[in-house]
Amino acid sequence: MSFWIYFWTIFFFASLAVFATLAVVVSIGGFFNIRSLFKSLTDRDEQNAVNEEPTE
Amino acid sequence: MGLSAIGIETNFGPLDWGIVAAYLIIIVAVGVYIKRYISNVTDFIVAGRGLRTFLAVATMIGTELGLVTVMYSAQKGFTGGFAAFHIALAAAIVTVMVGLTGFIVVPLRRMNVMTIPEFYERRFGRGVRILGGTVLAFSGILNMGLFLKAGGIFVMGITNIGLTDMAPDMQLALGTELKIIMTVLLGCVLLYTTLGGMVSVVVLDYIQFVVLSFGLLATSLLSIRYLGWQNIIDTVSELKGTAGFNPFHPPPEGFGTLYVIWMFFLGLVSCAIWQTAVIRACAAESIRVVKRLYIWSSIGFLIRFLLPFFFGICALVFIVQKEPLRAIFLPDGTEASSDITLMAMPIFLGQILPAGLIGIVSAGMLAAFMSTHDSYLLCWSSVLTQDVVAPWFKKGLSSKARLLLTRIFIVAIGIFILVWGLWYDLGQDLWDYMAISGAIYFTGAIALLVFGLYWKRASKVGAYSALFCGFLAVVGLTPVQNRLGFLLNPLKLHFGFTKDIPIEDVTEKTVLVIKDLPIEQISAKTVLVYDTIGSEIVGLTVIALAVLTMIVGSLVFPDDRMSSEA
Repeated sequence: MSFWIYFWTIFFFASLAVFATLAVVVSIGGFFNIRSLFKSLTDRDEQNAVNEEPTE
Repeated sequence: MGLSAIGIETNFGPLDWGIVAAYLIIIVAVGVYIKRYISNVTDFIVAGRGLRTFLAVATMIGTELGLVTVMYSAQKGFTGGFAAFHIALAAAIVTVMVGLTGFIVVPLRRMNVMTIPEFYERRFGRGVRILGGTVLAFSGILNMGLFLKAGGIFVMGITNIGLTDMAPDMQLALGTELKIIMTVLLGCVLLYTTLGGMVSVVVLDYIQFVVLSFGLLATSLLSIRYLGWQNIIDTVSELKGTAGFNPFHPPPEGFGTLYVIWMFFLGLVSCAIWQTAVIRACAAESIRVVKRLYIWSSIGFLIRFLLPFFFGICALVFIVQKEPLRAIFLPDGTEASSDITLMAMPIFLGQILPAGLIGIVSAGMLAAFMSTHDSYLLCWSSVLTQDVVAPWFKKGLSSKARLLLTRIFIVAIGIFILVWGLWYDLGQDLWDYMAISGAIYFTGAIALLVFGLYWKRASKVGAYSALFCGFLAVVGLTPVQNRLGFLLNPLKLHFGFTKDIPIEDVTEKTVLVIKDLPIEQISAKTVLVYDTIGSEIVGLTVIALAVLTMIVGSLVFPDDRMSSEA
């Protein structure tokens, strides 16, 4: 049983540390990704609007 | 008599109500505002296929780390102890393997499909798509059936609302005020999901990811500080012995090897087969993003189980050391019913988290509750539109018609789950209900995806057979097993699915089960009754059958012309 106690203890705290790092990185990176997403959707809408304008 | 009558007061106060209300208003407003970015059905369903790595990871974890997952995982930690951690480990290992190899998800993304049944059509034909879409939506919507109840139990546990009849004889019928709260929450979800689609879902998933991640990390540290790590280990050791740590310890005390194998399958299903996860891969910007998404998300798939398991373990330790609660949750040293053990984690959080933080964590949990609903609503309504209705129109449906139809389905499913989950008493354990309702779809889908993508000889007949086999998974539901007793009981006797129970535990239902047993097997103190066949045995058996019928069906009835798209 002592093997499993050590194993789960190390596993739990290591996972906690890795997740804390991931949370910080993804929070920052995700913010910039949202800005890019909105920009690409807006750009494409504008492009579609230009394409739909009648040409002479 | 409520919990306060036995000296158990929650820390959830007016400040926390204010935080929850403000948070929910903000996220609904953001969701509605995002409507301006939606111009077609691809924007609505897969966010214009514009998700980059970090946002994709946040939305994947945001969706999968829902309140319902937290609730049933905490219950598993409460009943299984540290041994339940193997489920989190299995989920992480399988997700990393999918990320490294691109197994299933990369070919799907390469084919540019929006839903799994769309793949069925390209590989096996329109009929398989319609049947597969129907099975998927049926299974998925049923799977959502208890979400509202789980949410209701969380709100009851953490706020003490509606616990007026709780002790000593716990009554978990949701009170009217709670039904109103949950209905309002669902109304908010319907509002911004029908308007904003996938773009609002990913942005709100991101906000929820940030709030919930840091909230859960803080809760973990506070729990360890409050109870003490050594105290947690010692108490679990004393209560459960080896079974509390070793996942291979045989049932009924432990999980057992078969259960561990089943968890690896469920890990594969939840990351690579389940439509709500696969739709994230389909929405990714490129193949490279898909692989990175899965490698990064493996940490999320691990944490979404690990931390709730830990909260469940902490709740157990806390309850053992509080005599009034011990009498409710562990009467006579045994575990209480499933509904009651579900409430252990929220009651524990209500005791240890300080005012303010408890509001933030609750807001995050409720946002997670809404986030899971919005993703699932969007997912199943998309499947119904794209895979069940649209294929019937030979000339196809316009983007506008599909968008309208998807929104109508979102509202219809919302109304259905409100009636099913909140007002209808299912009388079913949460984990078993969810695993089996999901298995109706994924047991067949595993065969179709794996063989459809990687075996050129997989045929239409094989696909139909595997999909129909998946329906056999309903046998895993206890009420279905009881109804099919005339078929299953001889098998149960043959394979030893019986158990002794104390004579005082015999109810009307168990009498019905034992009535055909020889009288000499009934002793003075215990009686032999039919045991339930575990979800792991039903699930693994149905998967094996689906694979077998796919292979045999394909070999015996090959397609006229083999698809070259696999």
